[in-house]
Amino acid sequence: MAELLIVDDETDVREFAANFFRKRKIDVITAGSGEEALLFIEKEKPKLVLLDITMPGIDGIETLRRIRKLNEKLNVVMVTGIYPDEGDAFKQCQELGVKVYIHKPLRLEELQEVVLREMALCA
Amino acid sequence: MRVDYKKELEIAAKSMIMVHDSEVLIKMIVRMIVQKVKVNHAGILLFDVEKDAYVLNVSRGALGLRIPAGFARVDKNNPLIRFFTERWDRILGIEGMIVLQDAKKILRKKNIPTMGKKILEGALLELDIFESVACISSYFRNDLLGLLLLGTKRNKKDFTTDELTFFSALASDVAMAIRNAQLFTNLEDELNKKHRLFLHTTIALAAAIDAKDHYTHGHTARVTSLSLRLAQKLGQILKKEFAPNFLEHLHIASLLHDIGKIGIPESILNKDGPLDPDEQRKMREHTILGTTILQPIRELSEAIQGVKYHHEHYDGSGYPEGLKGEQIPLVASIIAVADSFDAMTTDRPYRKGLDKDKAVEEIKRCSNTQFNPIVADAFIELFKEGEV
Repeated sequence: MAELLIVDDETDVREFAANFFRKRKIDVITAGSGEEALLFIEKEKPKLVLLDITMPGIDGIETLRRIRKLNEKLNVVMVTGIYPDEGDAFKQCQELGVKVYIHKPLRLEELQEVVLREMALCA
Repeated sequence: MRVDYKKELEIAAKSMIMVHDSEVLIKMIVRMIVQKVKVNHAGILLFDVEKDAYVLNVSRGALGLRIPAGFARVDKNNPLIRFFTERWDRILGIEGMIVLQDAKKILRKKNIPTMGKKILEGALLELDIFESVACISSYFRNDLLGLLLLGTKRNKKDFTTDELTFFSALASDVAMAIRNAQLFTNLEDELNKKHRLFLHTTIALAAAIDAKDHYTHGHTARVTSLSLRLAQKLGQILKKEFAPNFLEHLHIASLLHDIGKIGIPESILNKDGPLDPDEQRKMREHTILGTTILQPIRELSEAIQGVKYHHEHYDGSGYPEGLKGEQIPLVASIIAVADSFDAMTTDRPYRKGLDKDKAVEEIKRCSNTQFNPIVADAFIELFKEGEV
């Protein structure tokens, strides 16, 4: 049963992040699109989702909306390249129950801390 | 097969000299490192002014090991950065780089300054999180421009002295590449500033003419705008792309086309009635006067054509030289149409301006005699599209 689901349209990002967390003994699955992510959430029931905001097809925010329909409590961390003030993406995420964001370019320590902490919360 | 690093550097230098784009250059360097030294991955942390941090921008190596561009950053206060910016590398005797195998030895030494030890340990932690075993600094003067991060060698062995020298040389190249790119950007900025100054000065000069000549308030601006639109339309119709500076010269020429009027007595310029033959002759001198005024300015040599010849007629009956047909520079032919149109449609104290469609009729009527027929046609098209 996978613990962490990483959703990002860039292969490099998915593979790097997956490798990063597998080395830290976390079970990871990856999805390259919002649609794929929704399938995995139903099938694998991960504890935490790392969700990229900018993706082609259904973007991060729409994916988040649909995740919420499936599971209101699933912990989702948004990964964004934009600053919170830009656009109302931040606001929409807040309304959909997301409290944690990571901005790219990120500090790898921060990536580690945030994921480990959020996973511990849902244990 | 042993790699001759000296030779590789020579070959690399030859191909790098031809590359002007610093991004391309840096990618080349990283690719070369991964290929020749056979490391699992390599990347470069480059200082990003906007983010005020070092961002990993170029990375190569196995999928999963290489860090996506723009994904990760290291802040300025991170021990890895401080190690170099505070020059602990010099203090600890490992100038310009950290190599894990050697750093561990240094940390075991007894007489190492406490702060140095702390920072080096912190730097090694950061290297570890980036899964790197070596990093080489890229300086320009005293600025740390970037850090080259290296993963383990595929054969799991330590780096040789040759390899480390190779990396240092490449790190210098990275610094040069970044520095050159910066210089180009600065140069471009300077040129842009000078250009803007030039343009604004020209516009101010043009405004001086309008100020003196009461009845043509706004004339210069209207003629300039019309000329530029006319040129665009011409380009569309002829399906041709003008020389890159053509529109620029047209712009300047139309702004300055009446500058010669500064030398015309106000009594003539602002006369209440139509001009008598003497006065007309004087007025016509404005084209030559304008040319005389602008001649000393080298940058305006092309624009002067528009100033001098905008009253020439296609059939040779114009002034100052009676040029005919294609002898008349295109810039001048374009301004001629715009200028005449604006003159016809502007009110004078002794006559009202024509309606736009009447003026366009006139242009059509005088096509091939006064006006270049192709330019006149383009103007009529423009009018039909409501763009006049």
